[in-house]
Amino acid sequence: MIYFDSAATTMQKPESVVDAVTSAMGTMASVGRGNSSASQTASELMLCCREEAGELFGVSDPERVIFTFNATHALNIAIHSLVKSGQKILISGYEHNAVTRPLASIPNLEIKVIDTPLFRNDLFLSVLEKQLKMGADVMVCTHVSNVFGYILPIKEVAKLCKKWGCALIVDASQSAGVVPLEIEKWQADFVAMPGHKGLYGPQGTGMLLCQAEPLPFMFGGTGSQSIEQKMPTFLPDKLEAGTHNVAGIAGLLEGIRFVKKNGEKKIARHENRLKYLLAELLDDSKIHCFYHSEDLLQVGVLSFYVDGYDCGEIADFLSMKGVAVRSGLHCAPIAHKTVGTQEKGTVRVSFSYFNREEEVVNFVQLLKSYLYMEKRES
Amino acid sequence: MVYYLIMCRSLTYAQRIVQMLERAGVNAWMIRSPADISPSGCSYSVKITQKNLSKALMLLNRFNLSYVGIYVGSSVEGYEEVAL
Repeated sequence: MIYFDSAATTMQKPESVVDAVTSAMGTMASVGRGNSSASQTASELMLCCREEAGELFGVSDPERVIFTFNATHALNIAIHSLVKSGQKILISGYEHNAVTRPLASIPNLEIKVIDTPLFRNDLFLSVLEKQLKMGADVMVCTHVSNVFGYILPIKEVAKLCKKWGCALIVDASQSAGVVPLEIEKWQADFVAMPGHKGLYGPQGTGMLLCQAEPLPFMFGGTGSQSIEQKMPTFLPDKLEAGTHNVAGIAGLLEGIRFVKKNGEKKIARHENRLKYLLAELLDDSKIHCFYHSEDLLQVGVLSFYVDGYDCGEIADFLSMKGVAVRSGLHCAPIAHKTVGTQEKGTVRVSFSYFNREEEVVNFVQLLKSYLYMEKRES
Repeated sequence: MVYYLIMCRSLTYAQRIVQMLERAGVNAWMIRSPADISPSGCSYSVKITQKNLSKALMLLNRFNLSYVGIYVGSSVEGYEEVAL
């Protein structure tokens, strides 16, 4: 299989991740729920993962690294901690439903979408500052668009939010593992990320990095203050009710180590090289690629559509030939609205460190064979 | 034998204290706090010997790691809080 759907999940994992999951399943028990060595080993693993994640993302206090089940879970915690009915909320025009649906569940919000064009960071920051000057309570901003790979200027966004007294939640779903994050330097209130994309961990893992004080989102046992019927007030217990995904976190730790060993810049360079090759090979008047040659503006994610062809049918054909891509709206209808592709969506190709140039060449040959075949039949 | 227990607010915090003390050459063990000193239910403490107490407290202070309380005693005779 040619797997080009890593913006959804990096399916090809480092061997160390698979080994760690398997080993944890046979050797580790519940964290903080027993005195056995199996429980202690699990507890040590958790602290180790918090520390190594903190080191990678610039969070000095490991208690502020919270394990979640995915980025959506983390975003829900962050949004429900900061956003209250009646507030004015700013979002970028590139948000995923993991941001817009939790916001839609809170009544009476004034939501302003900063829907400036792709790759125009100057315009984005200028419109954002205008909105901040008018007053806003919370900004929720993706770091990288899951549809177009567009890297938003999050460092500058954080500076402006700080300047104008607006809280900031960052969705790092597509950036964690490929773009360096410096969370304490940015002073973002919350940063949410999945474990199963650029961090190469298993599905069912994610993290919320907290600079602000969150509210409990799920209630239950924590292995601490058991007589109290209120959730503990301290992190991470406040946000981690119920049994942890220990095997998943064991895999996530190895994924984080894989990223640290190779380095985000090297991983991004590799994925960008594949993207350049793809854009070059797709150069055709009928094929419209959303591409930028500047590494600082786009990660290894490329969306395209073909005049006269349905994106879903292209993806179906590719799937039959053993190629995984994603078509449609990618759970981000407002990103498509911002760019003008909401009617038909796009076909998205997204790379990981495990993809190779020959896969890109084969992919383009298959795609072109489909387009020619269609032409002949019509 | 008499031990001191440094009661911590969370498992993660107790782990961090043990890790810091061990890196500084102080033997320390994380245990579940005995029920008679943990009125709100499960909690974690770091167990150290009497001879290591002053060094441990100095290190906690230096690394800005706080604790809920310090207890002295043994598992046979029970523990009582120490006013420092």
